[in-house]
Amino acid sequence: MVDNTRDSVSWLGARLARKEDLRLITGQGKYIADMVLPRMLHAIFVRSDYAHALIKGIDITEALALPGVVAIITGDEMRTHCKSMRQPVLTPNLPAKYPLYYGLAVDKVKFHGDPIAMIIARDKYVAEDAAELVVVDYEELPPILEPAEALKTGSPKVHEEEADNLMFEMTFTGGTTPEEQQNHAVEVEKIFQAAEIVVGAEFRVHRTGTTPMETRGVLADWSNSDGLLVYNTTQRPHIDRLAFADVLDIPAEKVRVIAPRDMGGAFGLKAPFYREGVVVAYAARKLGRPVRWIESRYESLMSIGQERGQVNTMEVAATREGKLLAVRNRGVADVGTGQIGVYWGFVMPFLGTVELPNAYTWEAGDISLKVAFTNKACLTPSRAFGHFPTRFAIERAVDMVARRCGLEAADVRRQNIIPKLPYTSVTGEYYDSGDFLKVWDNLMIQADLPAFRRAQLSARADGRYIGIGFGCGVELSGVASELMVPMENQPGYGAATVRLDPRGKAFVLGGDAPGGQGHETTISQIVAATFGINPEDIVITTGDTGVTPFGSGTIGARMGSYFASAVRKACDELREKITHVLAHDLGVRATMEEFAFTDGEVVYIRDTSKRKSFCEIVERIIMFPINLPEGEVGGLETTAFFEAAKPMICFNADMCTVEVDLRTGDFKVLKWLTSEDVGNVINPMIVDGQMHGAIIQGLSNAIFEEFIYNDQGQQMTADFEHYKLATAADVPDIEITYASTPCPHTPLGTRGIGEGRPSAVSGALCNALCDALSPFNIEITELPIRPNVIWQKLKAAGAVT
Amino acid sequence: MYPAVIEEYVRPTTVEDAVDVLGRYPGGEAIFLAGGQSVMQAIKSRMMRPRCVIDLQDISSLKGIAVNADGIRLGAMVRYVDIVRCAELPPAYAALRDAAQHVGDRQVRNRGTIGGSCCWNYLASCLPATVLALGGTMMLLRQDGHRREMAVDDFLIGPLETARGDDEILTAIHFKAATRTGSAYQKWGLLKDALPVVGVCVKVSLDGDGRCIAARISLSGLAAGAQRAPGGEIVLVGSAGETGIIEKAFAMIAEQVDAQSDQWANSAYRQQLIRTLGREVATRAFGRARGES
Amino acid sequence: MKTIQVTINGELYQETVPIRMLLVDFIRERCGLTGTHVACTYEGVCGACTVQLDGEAIKSCMLLAVQADGHRITTVEGLANGSDLTPLQTAFKAHHGLQCGFCTPGILMNMTEFLEKNPEPTDDEIRYGLIGNLCRCTGYVHIVDAVRAASKVAKQGGQDGG
Repeated sequence: MVDNTRDSVSWLGARLARKEDLRLITGQGKYIADMVLPRMLHAIFVRSDYAHALIKGIDITEALALPGVVAIITGDEMRTHCKSMRQPVLTPNLPAKYPLYYGLAVDKVKFHGDPIAMIIARDKYVAEDAAELVVVDYEELPPILEPAEALKTGSPKVHEEEADNLMFEMTFTGGTTPEEQQNHAVEVEKIFQAAEIVVGAEFRVHRTGTTPMETRGVLADWSNSDGLLVYNTTQRPHIDRLAFADVLDIPAEKVRVIAPRDMGGAFGLKAPFYREGVVVAYAARKLGRPVRWIESRYESLMSIGQERGQVNTMEVAATREGKLLAVRNRGVADVGTGQIGVYWGFVMPFLGTVELPNAYTWEAGDISLKVAFTNKACLTPSRAFGHFPTRFAIERAVDMVARRCGLEAADVRRQNIIPKLPYTSVTGEYYDSGDFLKVWDNLMIQADLPAFRRAQLSARADGRYIGIGFGCGVELSGVASELMVPMENQPGYGAATVRLDPRGKAFVLGGDAPGGQGHETTISQIVAATFGINPEDIVITTGDTGVTPFGSGTIGARMGSYFASAVRKACDELREKITHVLAHDLGVRATMEEFAFTDGEVVYIRDTSKRKSFCEIVERIIMFPINLPEGEVGGLETTAFFEAAKPMICFNADMCTVEVDLRTGDFKVLKWLTSEDVGNVINPMIVDGQMHGAIIQGLSNAIFEEFIYNDQGQQMTADFEHYKLATAADVPDIEITYASTPCPHTPLGTRGIGEGRPSAVSGALCNALCDALSPFNIEITELPIRPNVIWQKLKAAGAVT
Repeated sequence: MYPAVIEEYVRPTTVEDAVDVLGRYPGGEAIFLAGGQSVMQAIKSRMMRPRCVIDLQDISSLKGIAVNADGIRLGAMVRYVDIVRCAELPPAYAALRDAAQHVGDRQVRNRGTIGGSCCWNYLASCLPATVLALGGTMMLLRQDGHRREMAVDDFLIGPLETARGDDEILTAIHFKAATRTGSAYQKWGLLKDALPVVGVCVKVSLDGDGRCIAARISLSGLAAGAQRAPGGEIVLVGSAGETGIIEKAFAMIAEQVDAQSDQWANSAYRQQLIRTLGREVATRAFGRARGES
Repeated sequence: MKTIQVTINGELYQETVPIRMLLVDFIRERCGLTGTHVACTYEGVCGACTVQLDGEAIKSCMLLAVQADGHRITTVEGLANGSDLTPLQTAFKAHHGLQCGFCTPGILMNMTEFLEKNPEPTDDEIRYGLIGNLCRCTGYVHIVDAVRAASKVAKQGGQDGG
């Protein structure tokens, strides 16, 4: 609840009700679909019916003749009048095949849902009428759907101009040259040869994603003097601005991108630079009228938002005492067409493989990845970016080791969790700070494993099968430029402008673009605490490239790590100036540290009778800049940048208990408990909410959701009847506990949280299921995990008839 | 996404007027709109492109649940929520409430109707199978004023197909009063209250000694649509609802049905669901017939 | 085209609309009440467009606008009386029952009716009541907390009702 009597310091850590909420609970949110401009036209896309086919011709005559239709744009026009999507700002510095593509498909369609034409009409119903009248002459080609087939020599190709379907390949261990890596692999093999225990499996994870409730939308407008204005559902408006300029060949200063203040969730799906936006913007420029496209759910489920799909063939060597020695993994990711700006589908499996070793001390690893083009929608970033499949594999493998050793999986984890940070993993990932064991031990205290084992025994005596499972996860807390520049050809630093107002209010401008994470509230709490003012007196503006400093976007848990830190830095710079002037006015020699900003006043600590209201001193510096200390000028506004020298992390550990009904394989999660290191917390209620949402997304991904293609490459799950999101009745309550260590590398000790959080879920869940069914020796190695699969495993094990 | 052009919308106040409008259009070009919770999916996806929509919401004779000594009559426009709230539903027809209270979600139950569901007859739906096990009589009115009654067994032909004529309206569903009779319905779906992967409905009538003298069993969720399971019914007759006999009945049903495999369940799993659901549902139906709550 | 009269949040709208126009488009585009959202295509599963028709929660994407002729509709904009929020709205704010807020109006419209019909729900009943509203941000935990807090259960237990 808002409590205006709090002193300034306690704004940090307060369960402050969100500032965003009032408008959202009264229907005054303004999302992309709520934005209307005069003379606005509606766009919809005609999409491919086939996974793989040559386009022999497109007949738009009848569609164009329909009253109300203004224009129809096809791929040839995009190729002629715009540049390709393969622009440097959208292309990572990693050695991969980057297929050439345009706003719309040219010559060939490469997945079911590939955009072929865009209809522009005065009415969205009429636009759909016209789309039905577009006649596409296809010559069907056999679809390439299985990565293993796609990678075979002589396979038909998804992209004719590329040498083959191997988009990306990398070995993450043993050095940089093939020779070093090969020698290292031999050394790792020796560890396996000598190991007392080796476990392994082919861990298969299906295509699934994070599916925000709001689909994508773009509203573009063109002005002959100002250029292009694009309202875009994006997490990264500043990147998009450069990309629109480059692809449409417009001077960059003539492009302004605004991410709507209210976005209906993003979770990574709104991070890429998408081709549809280019076509909409092109049409607005061509027609000189605003054009808006609101993506349908059908299009969304068909063409974006699919992640995870990966097979990891993993082996783990260990001692009989449960000491983990080495991990070997061969990953194969099914990337689809690889046509999504910035990420190209393979950046997620790349990073997910970097993150594979997780929180364990391995002596060595032999880890590599292949990424194959197929005729499916391109993998799209989704919260738990890339490491949902590798985390599933490693957490299951640890439990397999425990079972082979006859040890508690929890004890095996405790024994192998990295005891001291910083630490560099076998794939070279840097873990900066924290105390993993503190987090783990906190979980185990609350979990009370011995009590559960007693309950399990007595339940089994009653014919009930309950089980307990654990998992843990190192997650990125923001992404440092050190990683962002090679991975995305973009910076990672955070940036914020803080502007004080003569009435004592604060304005914060940030180049990121949140989608529901509560930035307005969290940032207000930081600013309020720093200046000793009220959160209600602070206005946050994000997402508008016209007014905000360059920001890399709301991605990778950058809020608590980078944006918050930049805001704090900017506030501190202004505090410095305010105290400098105030000391001068009060006639004292004092540093910033000798002043307290509290309850709307700036107080000289050594003589508290010397004080001035925040409002007065701010007004004095902005409005009456005379008699200032030497060298000072008036005004109170600054932009600060925050960069971490090395990547930063956060850490979590999960426990869940389940009950399985042997008759049907139905299972119920009885309890989900977590322990988290999130650093210093600004708003615990918001942090809780991030964890809840992420964990339930992980459960929903692991159990209910699955993108399915048939053997012709048709996408079969493009509506919510078939792509099933968990409802409230399908999921458990979540209990979150904290065992945090302040981050030493951020000014507030905060960590960015929430992004990677779904990844630990599937392992913990399946570990619990296997524990419940341990009398039958059942191992789960494939997702999704559903009652029918469990029942079939029970049947195969002879547990049921 | 958006419906194709619809030329005419009418909202008659009598069933006679409703069938009259229906007759003005060639078969299929005018459609009745009851709760619309399935039909609107079809209209929005343009799977259906009606020229005329006849909205039944203002026809009072299609509404209401009447329970009397002869039995119960549900108007075709009785909504799921009306069934859930009907306090005087006898145990013989308790399956109606079992089914209705888990159809879709609150919003769907506030709109969707029993008549609409039976006429749509989607294979993965609850009410057609329930009405089938309960042995309802479908009351139909033709455009020429001819009224006919039809056993639900004859009415439900197959998925998305019924015996209702192009010029007919379903006005009501009747169930005969029955003593010492109980029924129950339950379904399984991957998500709670979702469309049934398999649903089972059982109705049993007992004699004074608690022996089953008549049984009707139906299944939903199978590719062939709502269907009876006569083999299992015969097994139940003569029993007193002993677990072993119930299990035998549903083992036989599971063996005999043609259960499809899809992304939600393979054939063997559907058969297992028939066995496990059948046991629970039949046990509950026997209990209700004996007057247990 | 057909001329219809629909009372929304107490205000009478008389408009001539194409027969095929969906009620949700009428509410959003004709009446400018954009608090009601759309998050699925034709399937009517997400519940973001939930409004009340004559006091009952329904999905406005599953009706034609002409079906609402002569009826009374309440949207999320009609819940609060000026700046006086309803207890449910207050509870959603107090308990962080929303993140992106896209599904929230639909949930408020459904749960407002739910609590009228069932003022003392169990957590299980709340969760079943929410089946028709998908949320992707909250994992439903704080939503359930908020609905419970707005119910009579909370008031009788003396808990924080927001």
